[in-house]
Formats: sequence, C-alpha cells, structure tokens
Amino acid sequence: MKRLFWMALVLALALGLLVGCKKAEPTAPAAEEAPAGETQAQAEAQEIVLTIGFTESKTGKLNVSSGRQAKGLRLWMKQVNEAGGIKLSDGTVVKFKEASYDDESSKDRVQELYTKLITEDNADFLISPYSSGLTAASAVIAEQYEKVMITTGAASDSIYKQGYMHVFQIYTPASRYLTGAIDMLKEADPNLKKVAFVYEQAKFATAVVKAAKAYAEEQGYEVVLFEGYPADTTDFGPFINKIVESGAEAVLGGGHFQDGSTFARQLYEKKAPVKAVVLLVAPPEPDFAELGDAAYGIIGPSQWEPQVKFTPEAAKELGIEWYGPSNEEFIKAYEAAYNEEPSYHSAGGYAAGVILEYAIKKADSVDPKKVKAALEATDVLTFFGHIKFDTSEEAHGLQIGHEMVYIQWQKKDGQLVKEVVWPKEGATAELIYPLPR
Amino acid sequence: MKRSVWSFLLPLLVVLAVGLFPLVTQKDLHRETAFTLLRAVALAASLNIILGFTGYVSFGHVVFYGLGGYVAFYLVAVKGWPFWAAMLMGGVAAALLAYLIGAGILRLRGAYFALVTIGVNEAMKAFIYNFQPFGGPTGLTMNFAVYKAYGGPKAVLWMTYYWLFAIAILLVLVTYWIRTSKFGLGLLSIREDEDAAEVMGVRTARFKTWAFTLSAFFPGLVGAIFFFRNASIEPHDAFPLHVSIESIVMVMLGGQGTVIGPLVGGIGYQWMRVFLLTNPLLKNIQLAVAGALLLLIVLFIPAGLVGWLRRRFPATRRFLL
Repeated sequence: MKRLFWMALVLALALGLLVGCKKAEPTAPAAEEAPAGETQAQAEAQEIVLTIGFTESKTGKLNVSSGRQAKGLRLWMKQVNEAGGIKLSDGTVVKFKEASYDDESSKDRVQELYTKLITEDNADFLISPYSSGLTAASAVIAEQYEKVMITTGAASDSIYKQGYMHVFQIYTPASRYLTGAIDMLKEADPNLKKVAFVYEQAKFATAVVKAAKAYAEEQGYEVVLFEGYPADTTDFGPFINKIVESGAEAVLGGGHFQDGSTFARQLYEKKAPVKAVVLLVAPPEPDFAELGDAAYGIIGPSQWEPQVKFTPEAAKELGIEWYGPSNEEFIKAYEAAYNEEPSYHSAGGYAAGVILEYAIKKADSVDPKKVKAALEATDVLTFFGHIKFDTSEEAHGLQIGHEMVYIQWQKKDGQLVKEVVWPKEGATAELIYPLPR
Repeated sequence: MKRSVWSFLLPLLVVLAVGLFPLVTQKDLHRETAFTLLRAVALAASLNIILGFTGYVSFGHVVFYGLGGYVAFYLVAVKGWPFWAAMLMGGVAAALLAYLIGAGILRLRGAYFALVTIGVNEAMKAFIYNFQPFGGPTGLTMNFAVYKAYGGPKAVLWMTYYWLFAIAILLVLVTYWIRTSKFGLGLLSIREDEDAAEVMGVRTARFKTWAFTLSAFFPGLVGAIFFFRNASIEPHDAFPLHVSIESIVMVMLGGQGTVIGPLVGGIGYQWMRVFLLTNPLLKNIQLAVAGALLLLIVLFIPAGLVGWLRRRFPATRRFLL
C-alpha cells in the first residue's frame, strides 16, 4: 500500500510538472507577418510568403555551431522581411517565414523531420542541418520531393558526388580546406620540402588531410609522416616525437577544438623544431587565444573571418557580380541582434539566405525549377566570398568558387590577435614565417 | 490457466495498428513516424530475448545494429548487391558476431557481463575506425544511382518501410514462439536461477548463446534498413551507446520477459520522447528524464507495465503474455 502511495505521489508530481510546462510554453516563433498597413498599401501587388524549412541542433554535441548557423539565417530572414521583401518584376513581393525543429545532433529523426517540413509545413526551400552526416540524410528527402536545399556547415565532398541534383553547397569542400595552406607555404619558403600530417581520426579531418596530402605530393612536397590520432587524445607526446624524428619542417592537421588546441600547446611546450603549424577548426575560434604564447604563429583555415575584405570593387576586378550587404554591415547587424561576434558558422547561415535571395531575384520567380536554374548559373561575390556551383553530372552542387581564408595568431601591442594572411588579396597582415620558437 | 488466443493476437494487433496506419493514410509523414516507432519496437523486442527472457543486461545491442548497417551498406553501395540480400547478410554478420563473442562473454554474470558489453561496443567502434574497406573514419556514402535502380528515393523510403514492418511482425512471431516453447522455458529458468537450471538439465551455455545470437540478428537487419535509407554511414553514427540504453529503457518500461511488453514500451517511450523534445522546458534534459524514468520503474514496478498488470490483476494473465 505504501508503495502504491509513493508511486501515485511521484506520478502526480511528474504530471503536474508536465502540465505546468505545457502552460508555460511560449507561443511558437511566429512567422514574420507583414504589418497590416504595408499589406494594404500593396493591395494590388501580390504578396507571397515562402517557407524556409530546416532543422537546428538545439541539443547534442553540435548545438553551438548549429545554433550560430541558425542565428545567421534568421537574421537574414528578418532583414529581408523588414526591408519589404524581394520585389519581382511583375510586382510580386516575396517574404519568408521559417519552419524548424530540433534534430538533437543525431541522425535518428532527421529524415522524419524533413519529411514533416516538406509535407506538413509546406516548406518551399530547404536549408541543410549542420554537419555533413545529417545533411546526407536530409538530402535523400530533399531529392525525393525535388526541393532545392542550400547546404551550409556541410563541408564533406562526398554528398555532392552521389548524383543529387537539388543540393547546393555554400562551404568550401573538405578537399580544398588545406590546399591553400600548401600554396601559402610554397610562396613563403620555396626551400621547404618535408611536411607531416597529424590529424584526428574522424570523417572531416581525414577527408581534409587525404586531399591535402595528394595535393602536397603533386606540388613536390615529401610527406614524411601521415598519422591519425584517436578523437579523445590528450597526450600528443608520441606524435610530436615522431614529427621531430621524421625531420618535418611543417605540420598540418588537427581536427576539432579540444584536440587541436592541446596539440598546439604541446608542440609549444616540447619546442618542436618546425617552421609552420596549420591546424583545422581550433585556431579560428576566439577561445584559442587562451593558449597564450602557444597560440602565437599558429595558422588555421576558416570559411570566413570578420576581417576579410570582399568588396564590390574586388568583384569588378574579378569580372563577376557583387550581391548583398558588405562585411561590416553583416557584422554590425549580427552584433546588434545577438550581442556576440559572428563566427564563420553564423556567416555561413546568413550567406545561405543571401544566395537563395539572389537566385530568386535572378530567376525573377519563386518557381523551384527556375530558382534551381538560377542557382546553377550563379557566379557572384558576396561578403562571404565567391559562390559558384559545379553543374556537372558527377559533382552537381559542389562549391567551386569559394576559397578558404587562412588566419594566423599574431601580436599587436603584446596582445594576441587573429590576422588574415592568405589569400594575398584578402590579407590583413604579413605571414610570420618561420614560426618563432 | 488456459492461455487465451488474445495473448497472441494482442501483440500482433499492436504492431499491425502502427504499421498499417501509414498504408491507409498514404502520408509520408505518417510513414516516417511509424518508421521511428517500428524501429524502436524492433530494437526493444529483440533486446528482450536476451534481457527479458534470459536475464542478461546487454549494453551492446547497438553493436549489432551498427555492424549490420555497415555490412549491408558496404554490400549495396560498394559491391552492388540487391538490398534484400545485403540486409540478410547484415543480420547474419551481426548474429555471427554474437555467436562468437557470446561463447566467451556469456560466462560472465550480472554487472560483469554488462560491463563487457560496453567494452565490445568500444572495441567494435575502434575496429571500424581503422578498417579501410568500410571507409575508416570517413565512413561510406551511397550513390544516388543505387536509389534510382529502385525507382527513386520515394520508392526506397516505402520499400525500406515495408521491410521494417515485416521484421517487426516476424519479431512478434519469434518472441511468441520463444515465450511458449521449451527453449523459452529454458531461458526463463536461466533468468530465475542459472545454477538450478543447469542442475535440472537445461544446457545453459548453449541456450544462452542461441538467445544472444537470435537477439543480435534482428538489430542487424534494422541497422541495414536504417543506414540504407540514410544514404551514409559513419562510425560515430553507427555505434551510439545511447541507443543501447534507450532500448533497455523501452524493454523495462513495457515489461521485460513478456511478448507485448517491449512493443508497448517501445511505442510509449518514443511517444514520450517526442513530447520531451518539443516541450520547451524539458527538451534540454530529455535523456535525464528518460534516466529518471528508468530509475522509477526499477524502484516501483520492476516488472514493467505489462508485468505489473499481470501481477496486480491476475485475470489479465490469460491474454497478456
């Protein structure tokens, strides 16, 4: 009897909690409805509200990057709607609203959620989840309904080489993540010959270094070490010993933030005699500066940096069109909206929106087929960089215009600062080479 | 007490109700929801064979799911096998692994067995990370042309759904058979007292190994289906420990060692997860809530919902099995 009583009590409490939560539930993020006055003024002009469907990893290990990506996208949507939408030549005004769910950073429900977005929420265009794995699962659904999906935060090449025709990539693919670094080293030191690749054994890092290794060998470099480390490595001593033994002059690799920053710190502590260190993901993060002197001189690739200078003038020089806000405008709006500095994930989310907007404008229509054709013809410079898609049968939608920028931690008045050192046209400082140790 | 025919029909009807729903409405969303439910049901019902009937707590259930997924994915995407054959091989590979390791680790009991199954999961993951034919850390990706051969992604999504539905029905039949057979009686006696069972003439080692093998075959098939429709597979997706834990929760929730229990538990748990996921206050702690739920069940109703009903209302024993 006592047991029953306790059980009933616990159940009652649990139920109470759940009911309470339900009541406290705020109304779902309402679509950005146009103010009534505006709608009246444009009574004769037809207004279309397009639904943008996507999932966001609100929970799970991807939540930080994915959250920033979604913030960028939402900022774009808000700005377009507040500016009165996109005006087409026949007077139609196009506005946007979002439909989104939490994918829990897991593949388990991604397909279910994207099906819901398309069939229940009637999403007109899709944006990918964050990360290549989730994007691959959602691409199957996008393809089933022939919905255009702009992918951001999904750098893996393999998705775009599987014959999908409706998926368009904003990021520089993994295969070109480190190739620019090799070009940069070549220019900095033509005598440098021996390079080592030490990388995290995970999908992304492995894909990156495999492509970079092939490119380095093509460029005449000798790869003296090519070794993966498990994802949770905390002691890089054995790897650093191998690097020293191999006589490598430059080290490329890393993987994610934790391992990358530990690797950089231990390279510094062991005074490894290398002339350049290029690591994935960790260096562009502002928190990397907490390493202090160990961060000094470390180079890292980034999809976008606040300092990059892509301008309408640069577009003119390249002979392509310029579209969208300038870098400063984006950063200012983002900081005003969220009170934090945008990372490249934020910029990627925003850029996905800008490219969709550009394609709708170019197509002068919201017809998915025409927008798809416009995307295929896209060749444009934005604050995020050059955007152009592969249209071949083998790699449809693969990003071929966008290039990585490379940052290096340097010192200004004794303070560590991130400077863009490559490519030359976007550089804010000279590369420090060799690594001062 | 004579068993009512409902003890067989009821679990079958539960699965049929879930499985036929999208076939009636023909809505893609209903198909996807039912897919998630049936996947949970299949994982729970197969785990029930070793956990519920035999009394061995295995945290390694997802190993078979991931391995089956990998083997089938490799055969379809790289070797160009037809899907049904690859899926079958996925199941066979999982069962084979269970048979081989089962002979060794099933000698352990209680917490030691549970610990070792976690180790098996980690070892498998490490192996896949370094196994180049399966793509190592980058995993494998499916070419869209494979889908086209089956009539495009829509046809594939329906086809894989039918397969999963068929497997769920098969699992009901298999668990019912186990529960009512001499083999099942042997397993139950192992669960109650292994030494006594052995003295009574139950060949415990062989019974346990076959129970483990059978329980591994089905997640192998389910993994094959899941990753085939996902179009990509990676080590960290294929062996998530939390799927093992959730399967245990589902079995405990419904009632371990019963036929209908894991079905009810699987459906109930997935339904609860959707609720937790969309509830703004609880969504960040949904796994913690699931853990708390498991604790409550073990504390107050260790036999699960169905077990509790059977004990509390003896009349239900005729049709709740």
